[in-house]
Amino acid sequence: MSTNEEQGRIELLQGTLDLLILRTLQLGPLHGHAIAKAIEFRSDEVLQVEQGSLYPALHRLIKRKWISAEEGISENNRHAKFYALTTQGRRQLRVETNKWEKLAAAIAQILRPAGQEEP
Amino acid sequence: MTRRKRMLDQLEEDIRDHIERETQDNIDRGMSPEEARFASLRKFGNVARVKEQTYEVWSIAWLEQFVQDVRYGTRNLGRNPSLTIAAVLAIALGVGMNVGIFSVLNGLALRLLPIPRAQEVLSVNQTLRFQGRGNRDIHNNEGYFSWSEYRDYRDHNDVFSGVAAYEPYVEATLAGGNVGQILGTAASCNYFDVLEESPSLGRGFAATECSSAGTGPVVVLSDSMWRTQFRADPAVIGKPIVLNRTAYTVIGVAPPGFTGTEPIPSAFWVPVTMDKALEPGEDRLANDNMSWLAMLGRKRSGVTIHQVEADLYVVARRIDQHYSGRTTSLSIHTARFFSSPEERKFLIPVSSVILAAFALVLLIACANVMNLLLARASVRQKEIALRLSLGASRGRLVRQLLTESLLLSLAGGILGSLIACWSFVRLTQFITSHLPGDFPPVSINVAPDLHVLIYALLLAVCTSFAFGLVPALQSTRSDLISSMKGDSAAATSGKRRGRFMLNALVGSQVAVCMVLLLAAGLLLRGLYYAQTADPGFEIKGVATTFLELDQQGYDQQRATQFMNGFVERLRGLPGVTEVAQAECAPLSHDFSADHFTLPGRPDDIPIEYNHVTPSYFSLIGIPIVRGRNFTSAEAHDASGVIVTESTARRLWPGQDPLGQWLRDSSEHVHTVIGVARDAQVSHLGESTSNYLYYPLGPEDDTRSFVLVRYATGFGDVAKSTRTAAHSIDPNLSIEVVRLEDYLEAWRAPSRIVAGLSGTLGVLALLLCSIGVYGMVSYSVNRSVREIGIRLALGADKASVLRHVLWQSMRPVLIGGTIGVLLCAMVSGVLSSMMFGIGAHDPVTFVFVPFFLFGIASAATFVPARRAMYVDPVVALRCE
Repeated sequence: MSTNEEQGRIELLQGTLDLLILRTLQLGPLHGHAIAKAIEFRSDEVLQVEQGSLYPALHRLIKRKWISAEEGISENNRHAKFYALTTQGRRQLRVETNKWEKLAAAIAQILRPAGQEEP
Repeated sequence: MTRRKRMLDQLEEDIRDHIERETQDNIDRGMSPEEARFASLRKFGNVARVKEQTYEVWSIAWLEQFVQDVRYGTRNLGRNPSLTIAAVLAIALGVGMNVGIFSVLNGLALRLLPIPRAQEVLSVNQTLRFQGRGNRDIHNNEGYFSWSEYRDYRDHNDVFSGVAAYEPYVEATLAGGNVGQILGTAASCNYFDVLEESPSLGRGFAATECSSAGTGPVVVLSDSMWRTQFRADPAVIGKPIVLNRTAYTVIGVAPPGFTGTEPIPSAFWVPVTMDKALEPGEDRLANDNMSWLAMLGRKRSGVTIHQVEADLYVVARRIDQHYSGRTTSLSIHTARFFSSPEERKFLIPVSSVILAAFALVLLIACANVMNLLLARASVRQKEIALRLSLGASRGRLVRQLLTESLLLSLAGGILGSLIACWSFVRLTQFITSHLPGDFPPVSINVAPDLHVLIYALLLAVCTSFAFGLVPALQSTRSDLISSMKGDSAAATSGKRRGRFMLNALVGSQVAVCMVLLLAAGLLLRGLYYAQTADPGFEIKGVATTFLELDQQGYDQQRATQFMNGFVERLRGLPGVTEVAQAECAPLSHDFSADHFTLPGRPDDIPIEYNHVTPSYFSLIGIPIVRGRNFTSAEAHDASGVIVTESTARRLWPGQDPLGQWLRDSSEHVHTVIGVARDAQVSHLGESTSNYLYYPLGPEDDTRSFVLVRYATGFGDVAKSTRTAAHSIDPNLSIEVVRLEDYLEAWRAPSRIVAGLSGTLGVLALLLCSIGVYGMVSYSVNRSVREIGIRLALGADKASVLRHVLWQSMRPVLIGGTIGVLLCAMVSGVLSSMMFGIGAHDPVTFVFVPFFLFGIASAATFVPARRAMYVDPVVALRCE
């Protein structure tokens, strides 16, 4: 049930959302909406995140103790929940990044010859 | 859990907050407030689903959902009481019968022995393999041990706190008792200590009573023996009783409820050293190469079965060294009734056949419930479509529907199991107390235990999948839009598939039912034959008595003396027309067989034989059709034999059998002097197997049947026969029965099995006709519009009826045919109870299918008739 009607946008791969959230929080604590915006912005709006799916992912990460949630005051003086990386989360981010790079490299390796054949 | 609660409490707030921010962003980008709100909602996705998924992160989701499903399912089932009750009853019937029969098999083969700390007691059996030539004497069971082997294992192991050995099923006659043969046990003297069953009165055996052969003439009585034969008199302790002519001092009475470790209760226990006195003829105690003692060991605490195995194999290897080329392998199991490999080899296939037959009934019940659920699924189409379109995943819905099935089958399973546990206990009591007289009483404890509980639970769960999975998958695969619109005709875009499902269901139901009915039919035919069969000889008007004189302390000379006097007296009795002696009475379940060779033929031919006196043939009415009868001068070793007609035809086709000769396994040569007519003397229903008669001589007098043909009443003859015997030997134990009574032993098993399968067949038929009825009325309901169109276009009512009938009978016919083929393939297993009718009895195979098809057409016709009364106007308007 996605609303993937805009051309040039890519739906997220299963499981990569966790990695993106961890990476985004590396810069500092953020609230939910800001995380969604950051991911969209930093990917030049290519990655399409159904914003709702952020919440199960956030809660999953909290449960695994990779991030923590704190009450705080947002920029427009409203109460909001801020999510921050834990030490364990930092370690996990390194592991996941590493894994992702290997995967991306491997897939690129496989795809390359086919791409070169076309002029 | 508190973290979870805090996190979830604010979830709703967080989401609202998130959407507000997004909306604000959109407004900032220049959208109208309304537009902005829509865009943000669209971008966020399905709020309800996000919430649910987030909850799932924190919950033990499946458990919570399960509880939710259970609650929903209960409500749903409560709303449909008629369907629920029908389904629960069908399942209760199917599961209950299976649990019941399982509890019987459990009592026979799975339950531990009824002794203290039975889980520690192991039964040890051995298998001997010989390289080259080697032989072993076997008494009762080839897995048993010799006395010396037992003592080796007992004295040289570190794993048992005690090892007992015993010879089961020792036949004995109690002097002065009013019972025929009783069965007892010859046991090692630590028997009661190892089993931890100390006598409730008196004492068990002392070690000195087993010190050497012939020591310890003492006996422990079973509680029921003590009550029935000695009026529960405590003063019996210290008194002598006479068993098989030897006096034993009663030293104890076993605790009530302890009947030994074999399925047939033991009436007494004597030290194993008394074996020769109890069963004269063979000195088993001294024979190191004789398998005759069962062995039970009680494990020391903390010892594993592997350690036991390793330890006992050391002893086994040492024993093997005394016999060149012999290898012993041991099988060690927790002791149960029927724990020897030999018994299990028989029990496992038999139980599998029985369980399979019962499972078939459950299968039919499942098909019925599935039918009901499929019918209901079409009613629930709208609800399910709505839930699917609100974002419920298909898996989630399937899970919910399966939960409903599980509820149904658990309810049915519990109900069925309760009824089964109650009724099978009583049923078993009824059957075991109504077995024919010479059936030994079997002690089966069919009360439910953990095994039965687990089996019932497993069965209920499997059942719920069996009938629930297909309807669940089927009903969640619907076309949303048309279902929502209520267009039931279009919603069945899978209509062909749906109809195929239904047809397959009914077809398989009919097939299974056909198998069961055919089996029941075959068995009933077998039973009828057994009840009415003409065995080919005159079985009526003959009294018979089996005298094991050697057991009663006679040697051969005295036995011959006794027999001569006895037969003389019998001949003189008024009303007695003929007296004969035979090694085996006809149909007495006593068989003797040997291997013979013919000149010029390399193969061994197995032939059953009997030793008979000359009067035997005229007494039971088997004429000598060629050659001559024996003369009274011909004794046991005389070379002349009489063969039956079919044996003669088979061995010497196209030749004159008279004067032909054959050699038995001990190289004696026999000449054929006569040919007797075929008769079913050894197996009921079998008259043409190889059979020959030897003359009977004094050697046979120690153990033979005496047959008496009488012209008066049986009661008088039985009485005067006993008087005649007692006038020679007042202490002789003698039992006189009708020769006809032997038929009962052949009929009883087939009566029980036929009764059982008949009941199963009737139940299957009932369930199956309900199934067919349900299927037809459901499909008539579904095709009301189609029928309406046909009628509107001018079809007459009869042709509509024909159409519906044909549509419905087709799966019945196909299923029935498959059932007939299936049964024809497997009915061979029943042949032993068919008494020569054959496993493909044409009468059964014609009559039963016609009967089933008749019932099925009736079940089809009733609902199909409704199709004729469809009003085309109403049918077409209602949608």
